[in-house]
Amino acid sequence: MAVSLAPDDLLRRVEGDVRRAIRRGRNGLRYAAGTDRPKVGLTPKDVVWKRDKAELWRYRSEAVQYAPPVVVVHSLVSRSYVLDLHPRNSAVRFWLEAGLDVMLLDWGVADAVEAENTLETYADHYLPEAVDAAREAAGTDDVTLLGYCFGGVLSVLSVARNPELPVRNLAVMATPVDYAGMRSLTGLIREGRLDPDELVDETGNVPPEAIANAFRLLRPTGDLASYATLWQHLWNDEYVEGYQAMAQWTRDHVPFPGATFRQTVGQLVRENALVEGTLRLGGTPVDLGAIKVPFLNVMAEHDHIVPIAAAQPLTGLVGSEDASELRLKAGHVGLVASRTAAKVTLPQIAEWIAGHSDRVGG
Amino acid sequence: MAGRAPLWRRAFDAVEKPLGDTLASGARSGAFADVLAVALRVNRRLQREVERRTRRALHLANLPAATDVRRLTQQVTELQRQVRALQRELERATDGKPRERPARR
Repeated sequence: MAVSLAPDDLLRRVEGDVRRAIRRGRNGLRYAAGTDRPKVGLTPKDVVWKRDKAELWRYRSEAVQYAPPVVVVHSLVSRSYVLDLHPRNSAVRFWLEAGLDVMLLDWGVADAVEAENTLETYADHYLPEAVDAAREAAGTDDVTLLGYCFGGVLSVLSVARNPELPVRNLAVMATPVDYAGMRSLTGLIREGRLDPDELVDETGNVPPEAIANAFRLLRPTGDLASYATLWQHLWNDEYVEGYQAMAQWTRDHVPFPGATFRQTVGQLVRENALVEGTLRLGGTPVDLGAIKVPFLNVMAEHDHIVPIAAAQPLTGLVGSEDASELRLKAGHVGLVASRTAAKVTLPQIAEWIAGHSDRVGG
Repeated sequence: MAGRAPLWRRAFDAVEKPLGDTLASGARSGAFADVLAVALRVNRRLQREVERRTRRALHLANLPAATDVRRLTQQVTELQRQVRALQRELERATDGKPRERPARR
């Protein structure tokens, strides 16, 4: 492209560069000083149920058009505000605007008291109680469950083990079932070189630093690349705001309950029990074929944490006649929090849920 | 139209991508897992040794050590678990039966 050397054009370019340099300096100082911390999870909500540290939040909406409510089940290792990161980047807000009645099951921050919580604690106790509370709050007979990442595993186990659970639809996003397909993350513990107990701290849980380091090993230069991108866009206020929110979330892991971790390593990772059909919880076998409700498996093509190979087999394992898949060009987090999410992922999930719900208003 | 990345960024990417892939594949290797396991064990043993020595010194001065605090924390944790279990039993006893669930559609 030819560059104009006309004095007016030159002046305009210099002016633009100076303006950017000033903004870059201001944003850089703010970022380094840490004075401009982003506010996350701002969408107004009410706590409709609480048990121990688990809470069910219902987001306020004047424009609910569909029933039953959607209960989003979050993962056990990260903070749920990734689903409501920023007013301009919020899956929750998007689904509310699509007319859904959105609730979110947040597990809180596990400490020593939760160290003995097992998969059964979540799948057979907390989740069914939260589902009951959700339909009571919404005045409906059932709910739609939407699990994200390990929250998807818990949702699937809960529905499979409790066929009487009033769940009308089940959707999962980036949910691992075939642990042979996620060697990057599980490689260190899969072959028994590392014992799960070596990763558990004195509280009985896997500390957040260990979880963060495990994710860091997937892309050892990821932090550097992310700082380079920040430097490149430091002049852009909107970018910096979004970056700070996301960076805060990626550093903000929560302890993983030790007993659940041991089961995950022993059965899900080493035995690959969900795919092999050998999973036993509470002394009884778990049959994913017992899931008969309409099912949606959402996978991200660029997911380096839960690759397609780890998530895809779930569609064939459930017993639902109405089982479908969505493969989206996004990463693990980009599935719910990114520009692609707002344009592609979230609308398609909302459309599937709306299509499997009753229209009640609007 | 998205502009082309600046020269420095293209140079950075040219180095970062292959380097990142090499490091990631190294981190997935059995040798790395072995080194990590040994490092974790050594670290834990060192920690125990430091605790043992500082405990002796602190106890000489009649001060509580980390292990004493940990023991107390474990007792509080156990109490909290018992309170939770009791709370559940109480709810079951007063609230009665589990909530009725409608038949699924």
